[in-house]
Amino acid sequence: MESTPQAARERIDRIASADLMVGVLHNGAAFSMVRQALEKLPHVPRTVIIQGNGLGGADGANAADAATPSEDQTVFVVPWTLLEPDTSIAPVENVANAYQSVLSAGDKLGVRAACVLASDLQTVTSQWISRLIQPVLELGFDLVTPCYTHGKFEGLLNNSLISPLTRALYGTRIQNPMGPDLGISRRLFQRLIGPEQGAKPAANQSHALASIVPAAVCSGFKICQAHVGVRVYPPIDWTNLSSVLAQLLGPVFLDLERNAACWQRPRESVSPPSFGERMALSEDKGLVDVGRMLESFRLGARNLLEVWSLVLPPTTLFELRKLASLPQDQFHLPDELWARSVYDFALGHRLRTINRDHLLRAMTPLYLGWVVSYALEMQNATVKAAEQRIERLCQAFETAKPYLVSRWRWPDRFNP
Amino acid sequence: MWDRAQQALMESMTRLLSQVASLLPGIVALVVALLISALIAWILAVVLKRSLIGIRFDERANGWGFRSLAEWSPSKSPTLLVTRAVSWLIMLFGFLVGIASFDATLTSQLARTMFAYLPNVLGAVVVLLAGTIIARFIARSVLIGSVNMNLQYARLLSVGVKWLVNVLAVAMALEQLKIGAGIVNLAFGILFGGIVFALALAVGLGSKELVSRSLEREAAKSTGNGVEEPFRHL
Repeated sequence: MESTPQAARERIDRIASADLMVGVLHNGAAFSMVRQALEKLPHVPRTVIIQGNGLGGADGANAADAATPSEDQTVFVVPWTLLEPDTSIAPVENVANAYQSVLSAGDKLGVRAACVLASDLQTVTSQWISRLIQPVLELGFDLVTPCYTHGKFEGLLNNSLISPLTRALYGTRIQNPMGPDLGISRRLFQRLIGPEQGAKPAANQSHALASIVPAAVCSGFKICQAHVGVRVYPPIDWTNLSSVLAQLLGPVFLDLERNAACWQRPRESVSPPSFGERMALSEDKGLVDVGRMLESFRLGARNLLEVWSLVLPPTTLFELRKLASLPQDQFHLPDELWARSVYDFALGHRLRTINRDHLLRAMTPLYLGWVVSYALEMQNATVKAAEQRIERLCQAFETAKPYLVSRWRWPDRFNP
Repeated sequence: MWDRAQQALMESMTRLLSQVASLLPGIVALVVALLISALIAWILAVVLKRSLIGIRFDERANGWGFRSLAEWSPSKSPTLLVTRAVSWLIMLFGFLVGIASFDATLTSQLARTMFAYLPNVLGAVVVLLAGTIIARFIARSVLIGSVNMNLQYARLLSVGVKWLVNVLAVAMALEQLKIGAGIVNLAFGILFGGIVFALALAVGLGSKELVSRSLEREAAKSTGNGVEEPFRHL
């Protein structure tokens, strides 16, 4: 709470207690959406919304009213810009810090549940909020992760890396382990921010987003998924892709080290309970331009072999070199090869074979290689077929898990 | 007359023999010091070699980024390089101890000068080592960054930066050793400037395509005619 602005702190002190905390990271009309979501609940909980000043139109007026809550009022607004406008802070770290702020404020108010909305409010509806909070408030779940409806070429980092890795390692088939929109119970967020007794927190605070699902799974918290609806994904900034990859994967690999005893146990994965119905999305078919990404992969295969060779075994390097020489129409990166490469990079990160930032950034061309392979395969496929394709990838990660376990336990037996 | 010549010969022989006799303890001390230092060097080398093999120093040195260390090493083994370096250092130390035992002003001065120069040598070694590590780190950063920016001349840029840092480190090390300070400064200036100029030319000529691509993209964006890529990674 040290970083809480003075006005927000005073407002939280005046509110004193609440049942639900909703943290909204972006500007937009959140107030009315939260109200509508709360009306769907049998008992409207005393709710605090944290959001910046951009509550928008009528909501702004409501927010102003909420500054002096009357007895029958149940929704209070704390004006607090959660995302730092400072561009020097990495986006992933910025969101993680915002999460920490919301959870700390929720802890101070003694809320039973917290919901963080990190997506652009253009597509967020009251249904999103109700589906993320209902399982926590009414069904006793500790973590509600979102299932978004999206196009086959959206959320690729999650689909190709984060989700299959989480599923294979922790044995839980969670579609979006890093949210970014989540519903969290008091029990879980207390564990995430560190219990009052002064015991060591379960997760590194600055990496809270990557640590939420591993912490929940390893501590036996109840997890479910909610189909929230269509999400708008931000367009990619090409100059920044390697930074994003490093920021996302770094905490994930760090968590592998932290939870090594936990993830080595599960042998197969199970699906957590899901709520809501998934929405259909219009099919987008047609050729896609992968030239730039393919060139990036080939450039990596030409120039980064000496870096990759510190992490990847010779057979993998051979396969990658062979792949780089193939024409575009024959280009195919097998799932097994991709899964093993990810595991090798995770191990390289653990062993500090090279500087960790270098290691993670050197993975970018490899990731783009997988995207090219996936895009070429799926450019004329339906969304359903793309989902089946991702399911096969997840299975490949599960199949390759013994490889990671053995290398993790005996890293010296094999030295690439 | 013959008697006087004989006496002079005897005296010179006595003088020579007494001088040789006065040197003998020093020679013996030098031989003993060398033998003892050789023994200590051998024992230390054996212990060190076993320890380094035990911790797989060769592989670790490789992993730490000192790949070129193997190329400079005897039998391509950094372990052998370290053990031999330690042995020779001990031998050198024994030799200096032996030389000092002659109690001659010249040898004492030699030993003093060598010991006084030792910090410069150590400083130069540290500068070279740090330079190599920094050069390697920066070269790798540049290589990975350039590849991720899709720059075709990534390797050239990385090698250029590596040589820049290496040249700087060597110049600093020579400055530390006080060897040809003026020439080194001049040569360094010419070499450094040359590398920067070559890199600037290479990047300038090589990035023509990049700049035009970037401008085309910007133009397409502003006119709204650009085909947006369907890929969303986050």
